[in-house]
Amino acid sequence: MDTAKLVGKLEDFFDLSKKKQRKKHDKLSKIIGKLEEKKTSLEIELAGRDANGERYHDLKQELQVISDLIGKARQQDLASRQGDSDETAS
Amino acid sequence: MLNRIIGPLIFLVFAWFVVSNADARTIIAGVAIFLVGMHYMENGFKLFSGGALETVLERFTGTTPRAIATGFVSTAVVQSSSLVSVIIISFLSAELVSLTQAVGVVFGSNIGTTATAWLVSTFGLKIKIAHYALPMLIFGVVMQFSRHLAYRAPGSVLIGLGFIFLGIAYMKDGFETMKDGLDLAEYAMSGYAGILVYISLGAVATVIIQSSSATMAIIITALATGQIDYINALALAIGANIGTTVTAALGSLASNRNGKRLAVAHFIFNLVTALFAVVFIYQLRALVDWLSPILAIADGDDAMRLALFHTIFNVIGVLLVAPFTRTLVAYLETLFCEEAKGRGRAKYLTSEVMEIPAAALAALRKETIHLYDKSLEAIVHAMNLHRSQIFSDAVIEEVVEHARAPIRINIDEVYQNELKQLYGEILEYASMTQSYMDQQGNHEIYELKQAARRIIEMVKDVRELQKNLNYYAKGNNSFIIGQYNKLRAQLVGILRMIEELREYEGDEEEVLTRIEVERANAREFEIAMNREVDALIREHKIDSRSASSLINDIGFAHSIGKKLLSCAVTLWVRDEEIKVLGDEYGYG
Repeated sequence: MDTAKLVGKLEDFFDLSKKKQRKKHDKLSKIIGKLEEKKTSLEIELAGRDANGERYHDLKQELQVISDLIGKARQQDLASRQGDSDETAS
Repeated sequence: MLNRIIGPLIFLVFAWFVVSNADARTIIAGVAIFLVGMHYMENGFKLFSGGALETVLERFTGTTPRAIATGFVSTAVVQSSSLVSVIIISFLSAELVSLTQAVGVVFGSNIGTTATAWLVSTFGLKIKIAHYALPMLIFGVVMQFSRHLAYRAPGSVLIGLGFIFLGIAYMKDGFETMKDGLDLAEYAMSGYAGILVYISLGAVATVIIQSSSATMAIIITALATGQIDYINALALAIGANIGTTVTAALGSLASNRNGKRLAVAHFIFNLVTALFAVVFIYQLRALVDWLSPILAIADGDDAMRLALFHTIFNVIGVLLVAPFTRTLVAYLETLFCEEAKGRGRAKYLTSEVMEIPAAALAALRKETIHLYDKSLEAIVHAMNLHRSQIFSDAVIEEVVEHARAPIRINIDEVYQNELKQLYGEILEYASMTQSYMDQQGNHEIYELKQAARRIIEMVKDVRELQKNLNYYAKGNNSFIIGQYNKLRAQLVGILRMIEELREYEGDEEEVLTRIEVERANAREFEIAMNREVDALIREHKIDSRSASSLINDIGFAHSIGKKLLSCAVTLWVRDEEIKVLGDEYGYG
């Protein structure tokens, strides 16, 4: 094994950034999963409500917020994976 | 004057002694190298653990036996009771652990320090340790040149181990060559008089060297080379234990009350242990003799028997003192109470905490929450409300409607007397501790500083709101009073929601969702309020002067609400991945 390869392997061994990225992806997937679950339950609750009621407005607001949070979490996940693939390509 | 002369004089005598006595020079050089090794190792573990040591000490100290076990294992692994003590004092100051847990860790740490004796008596004396020390130093130094912490930290530990082994080798060589000229064994003393003399020597040596591990290394190497008698070595080991309490007591003088209380616990523990060991020294020796063959310790291996003795008497110490932990803690809590800081002063920020990133961040977070709570009182009173009204189950609109009488509070005075100093201390501490943090830690500090700034800005905003609130409350325009009540109700709603979140123990996704929903509501509320004011102007229900005041105050109230929610994200959403999803990051 040449020195460069050995150094590369050592770098990989000590490099925690990939591990961190994987961990971040797992965590974000978990967060997205939980938010999706909540979104579904809200949608079900909303379907059974009177559209003119005050509670309907509150639930709709919450649904919008959760949808935004899911969108942002997906963006974060994508950005972290893109960062990962850029690093691999370089 | 006398101090100025005595210091240099002692140094000169010491220098003459070192220069004129080649054997002593080798031994002292060994001790110096050993201490450098300990220093490197401690620093290496500080970097290497990446917070792992802190996590272990925080999480696995729930009960006294667990705290003792954790103290033992962590000290044995990092070979530094002082590092473990510093972390535990910092955690105690940040209220991450209780005094009972901290005392348990200190007990365990005492047993953990005996690992050094085993290290020296096994590896240090059995193998040509200097042969391994040099490659360790070479690789350690090479790794130190790396930009990555993942290399540098183990590099530092390796250098530490290398120096420790090299130091032991020097001490051993020094004692061996010394024996040709001067046999210290001739000064061996028998009986209790000898024991007391050697206990004093061990204690004095430890106070001078400031490390019981280094003293133990000297005792073991001297014993292995036959320079001291076995029973005198046992007495020296007891002395080293007493000496280390003096070192800890001296170190705690500049410490906060938690550090002092732990130093007292340490002192009591070591005193009881030492008294027991002195009284039963011959029985303990017999116990060691009985246990040695069982543990495969050779008959003449006094160095390992000394290590065993050191461990046994510390374990017995724990067995003697641990059952009285509750009583001891109750006593400790009565000590140093006068140190409690006054109003407007930081409660959690202590210098011991500063160097331990996890504890420093926890302390800073707690202090920012302290600032939040103090400011909250001012904000609530400025809105002519009381905390008890806000954090009750009563309908918000009714609470606000019935609380119209002005509460006399001068926000400027409160700021000057109670908040400014605290805010300043938070900023100073944050700046000081930043140098010990990694990128993530620095980011958290930045956020906490931002939160503290927002808290202060809220107080200034509420000062503006308070002026008009009290002015229009005296009038009889029910429309404008109604509008101000709506503003107050909106803020009470946010405060109540935040208070609920503080108690909430569920998912942080839920916490953030509720904050974001409230943020969206606040945005809608501001728009709706502005529309209502427009309508009131059009309908001539309020005059232009009142309208301009109201429009400004809607802005102030909205600003306070936004800042409250931003602070809530920073202070009560801990998960970084969740936190970044909030609108907090869009806050200017």
